[in-house]
Amino acid sequence: MLLKNPHNTVGFGLTYHIFCLIFTMLWLLFLPASVSAHNVTVFAWVDGDTIHTQSKFSGGKRVKNAPILVYNSKDILLLEGKTDENGMFSFKIPQKTALKIVLKASMGHLAVWKLQAEELGEAKSKSAVQPTGMNEPLVTDSGSAGIQRNADVFGSTKISIGRREIEEIINASLDKKLQPITQMLADAMNQEPGFTEIMGGIGYILGLVGIALYFTNRKRNR
Amino acid sequence: MHISEGVLSPAVLIGGAALAAAGVAVGMKNLEQKEIPTIGILSAAFFVASLIHVPAGPVSAHLILNGLVGLILGWKAFPAILVGLALQALLFQFGGITTLGINTLNMALPAVICYHMFKNSLKTGMNKHTVIICAFATGFLSVLLSGIMVGLSLYLTGEAFLPAAKLVVIAHLPVMVIEGTLTTTCILFLKKVRPEILEGNHAS
Repeated sequence: MLLKNPHNTVGFGLTYHIFCLIFTMLWLLFLPASVSAHNVTVFAWVDGDTIHTQSKFSGGKRVKNAPILVYNSKDILLLEGKTDENGMFSFKIPQKTALKIVLKASMGHLAVWKLQAEELGEAKSKSAVQPTGMNEPLVTDSGSAGIQRNADVFGSTKISIGRREIEEIINASLDKKLQPITQMLADAMNQEPGFTEIMGGIGYILGLVGIALYFTNRKRNR
Repeated sequence: MHISEGVLSPAVLIGGAALAAAGVAVGMKNLEQKEIPTIGILSAAFFVASLIHVPAGPVSAHLILNGLVGLILGWKAFPAILVGLALQALLFQFGGITTLGINTLNMALPAVICYHMFKNSLKTGMNKHTVIICAFATGFLSVLLSGIMVGLSLYLTGEAFLPAAKLVVIAHLPVMVIEGTLTTTCILFLKKVRPEILEGNHAS
């Protein structure tokens, strides 16, 4: 499009500066009040036979009383529940397949977290491989396993801890040890947009302005 | 205000995208070179405004600034808001790529409606009170209308309209007041320094 009055181009340099000023003022004014806004995240982790979920708006505000839906890998609804005051919702593992946990926050917000079948794997082997007793030794092709065999060797000491029991103990202590780490992960999942993202976005916009100006200018000079 | 991916039905998404595309086409028509920097700056302001979090209210909400964008740009608010939203989706994970169309429509259409309602009141010769009231109304109404449109989008997908719209609107009440004030401040400032911007030179 041809410019009617080319001298106007001098004018818009000033416009530009004024907008820059407003925009910078606005930005600086609010920046210390924490850069945050609202998309939602849901994070889920397995603890023994329970799955815990934590739901947050970005900015750290917990999502209260929002429905959580749990689907299996075939998109069949397994169970639903509501988050509590802290945005937490816990449930027993309903099925040992990959699970899809969907958080439906209000106003069209939605977040999904997927749990792989492997993450539920420990619980699976527990019940599937050895449904009989907790203290019985695990019998494999090569004979009964683990410490039980040693106990046979040192027959007199009568140490009879089943392999599954050891597993149980290790799992329990691992869960305890990993608790802070999962918590940290849950917090880290909720990264707010930082300086890089903001500046990147502004850079993109300035780039687009440049491209648009280039093309209009080419048209004009033709 | 940003609708996430996977919430709306495909029909609503496609309808929204088509209408948004139409709006962008109207906005891009007769684009003059001198308008491009203004559009870019307002797009950047819109992009950053969504990071300004308003802690009041039942759920977290943020500034939108679509009223100010609309009042200055008119139909050109469509491309400005589209660019802002696209970058918000890519960099901040607000909204999403599939919901880009409907989100653009929900935020840009109220801006254009407010522009047509109030543009005449900003021309020279109007007294200051009218300008203040109209600028405030633009900031306030554009967010209100956006809230209603979000409710409508959810309704078309099968949610009950009234609870959905009510929730969005109530959540954004503090935002509406702040945006009204902010729009007024910006307009008064512009009127003092660059009144010709508000005369419709930059908007058709």
